[in-house]
Amino acid sequence: MRLSRADLFGVVAGAALIAVLPFLISDYHQALFAQVAVFFIAILGLNILVGYSGQISIGHGAFMAIGGYTTAILSRDHHTNLVLTMVFAFAICFVFGLVVGLPALRLSGVYLALATFALAVSVPQIALKFDKFLGGSNGVQSAKTVSHTWLYGASWTTAAILFVLAWLILRGRLGRAFRAVRDSEVAATSSGIALPIYKTLAFGISAAFAGVAGSLFVMATNGFAQPNEFEVILSLQILVGAAVAGLGSLWGILAGAAFVGLLPTISKDVPVVGSAHGQDVVFGLLVVLVMLLMPQGFAGVLAALKRLRTRPDTS
Amino acid sequence: MRNKGRMLGALAAAVAVAGFAVSAAAGAHQTDPGITKTSIKIGGTFPLTGVASAYKTIPLAEKAYFDYVNAHGGVNGRKIDFSILDDAYNPAQTVPLVQQLVEQDKVFAILGSLGTAPGLATWGYVNSHKVPQVFLASGDSYWGFCAHQACAGGTKPYTIGWQPDYPAESRMYGKYIAKNTPNAKIGIIYQNDAFGKNYINGLKQGLGSKASSAICDQEGFAATDTTVTQQILTLKGKGCDTLFIVATPSQAITSLVTATKVGWSPTTYLSNVSANRIFMLLAAKNGANIDGVISSSYLLSPTVNASSSGVKFGAAILAQYQSALSASYASGDSNVIYGLGVAWTFVRALQNAGKNPTRATLEKALHSMNYANNPFVYTGIKIQTSSKDNFPIEQEIMIKWAGGASGDWQTTGSLQASGH
Repeated sequence: MRLSRADLFGVVAGAALIAVLPFLISDYHQALFAQVAVFFIAILGLNILVGYSGQISIGHGAFMAIGGYTTAILSRDHHTNLVLTMVFAFAICFVFGLVVGLPALRLSGVYLALATFALAVSVPQIALKFDKFLGGSNGVQSAKTVSHTWLYGASWTTAAILFVLAWLILRGRLGRAFRAVRDSEVAATSSGIALPIYKTLAFGISAAFAGVAGSLFVMATNGFAQPNEFEVILSLQILVGAAVAGLGSLWGILAGAAFVGLLPTISKDVPVVGSAHGQDVVFGLLVVLVMLLMPQGFAGVLAALKRLRTRPDTS
Repeated sequence: MRNKGRMLGALAAAVAVAGFAVSAAAGAHQTDPGITKTSIKIGGTFPLTGVASAYKTIPLAEKAYFDYVNAHGGVNGRKIDFSILDDAYNPAQTVPLVQQLVEQDKVFAILGSLGTAPGLATWGYVNSHKVPQVFLASGDSYWGFCAHQACAGGTKPYTIGWQPDYPAESRMYGKYIAKNTPNAKIGIIYQNDAFGKNYINGLKQGLGSKASSAICDQEGFAATDTTVTQQILTLKGKGCDTLFIVATPSQAITSLVTATKVGWSPTTYLSNVSANRIFMLLAAKNGANIDGVISSSYLLSPTVNASSSGVKFGAAILAQYQSALSASYASGDSNVIYGLGVAWTFVRALQNAGKNPTRATLEKALHSMNYANNPFVYTGIKIQTSSKDNFPIEQEIMIKWAGGASGDWQTTGSLQASGH
């Protein structure tokens, strides 16, 4: 994610738009756009793992669950400030990410995908097993709930902070190491990059981002964390968002986040297919279309447009 | 000339004052959202898709009843506009949908929303916005107790359930066993969450002093498990002669089938959430021996009570307004008559909320219900609430299956009150 002057202008413009939006839209829509920020953060995290270190995960919903439960439990039991719980979620999920990343070193491709899928299915069940502490099927209710406007402000501020963090990580040595690992593990090793360290680190960072997204996700759900909120579909939504986003573009990630965050709500109102299944059908159709027409995601489209614009003038 | 002018001025002033008075009076009746002179807007969240979608017939039955009422003048001239939203049993989807109902659609009340977890995710929000959350489709006892005592951060006076709660149901089974088969050795197979544990606690309360000696073993399963063979074999191996199945339909059916297939024929008790005749027939079709299975009911049976006026009334409504449900209703689908029963109760409460209902008058009506003639609930059941009693239905009757693979539930004994 290298930023030229034009990109910087774009970032500032985007930030300005996001800052002004809440004054133009209703409370209810602010909550909706806050959901986009949640997916933005999660997709950002997954992007670091998939796009920059070449590993796959369809289990990031599990890290969101851990982050979300961290927030709910700290708030319920210790009345911790909600913003502070996000810091805890970041740290705890970073550690969990490392823990998952270590055995993941032995796996790649489909096998890694399956292992992370198993994670997505099993982690929420832990809350059902240790129900005295983790609330079981009755969930965990945070001590404090937030207004839509607070949620919008907190989630987009966090998204901005984490975006800057991601940019700093990826433009430096760490990012170069990740890209080397992604492009060729053999070449990377022969250049002196210790694969286990960087691959595990990528998992840790990616999980930490997802954990913060999970914190905000629970705050958006009236502060209520419950296993049914973190079903496999959540991990798939993040993956779809990352695929739609493509690689290496801030605008791509925004587009991917808006796609998974807003489309289900919008497609619910499509009259053609009926209200019960309309959102699933429309969403599914659009995912297929996007993958067929824009296999490199939104970032790919932007890159192609850039190439068109900077084509040498023959006249 | 001047006198006429003055008179005109006075007349104009009088008309203006009268006009303000009339509009102020009209405005005072329309202060609550979701209610106009001609309509009342309500909405609810239900699992129309996903693992719990077997229950999607409930809101359809409720809508059929409202369509019938609307065709007959509505409630005090207002037609009921019922929004049915799909949350797929996922609280993270329920929350934005309820926010949409309250903030965008500006409904008068939330009605019938299904599920304990979806209810717990939204009851804080709904109560702080003072929106009536009426007749939640879940037997959790929170909805009854928390109107007056603080739960999860405060009292929830705007939330109320409808059906008898789960602990009350299993207390009834416990008392029945303690009285009739005190030497029973009960093996419990239960969903390993609050739903299952609620039932076990109630059973122990009902068994009283016999609880520790009567319970032979308890084996849990996860809500997502598809087989329960291990648990059934363990219970059989421990020598239990009575089986208590605390499960939702899919694992309930599997438990019944597995017990028969491993050659075990215990006296079986079944939680009433899975006692729908449709599911029992399915179990029998898959090889379960279901004769003698005991459960409970608080609704009329569309098959056994087919000649009752209530069941016929329901059949007529469905035929005209939701004929897609008619066939399963005629086969004994209790979900459908459940929906009709809930809708009837809501209309009654709305009528008792006055000619120009407000949320406050609706709440008052909901907390002073005394309806002995709901045509869809079991004969003799009184729907009652008061400032101290937030459990609308507290009576159930035990039922026992007879007639094998094409049989039905027969009532046994008389109506029992749970007494909170």
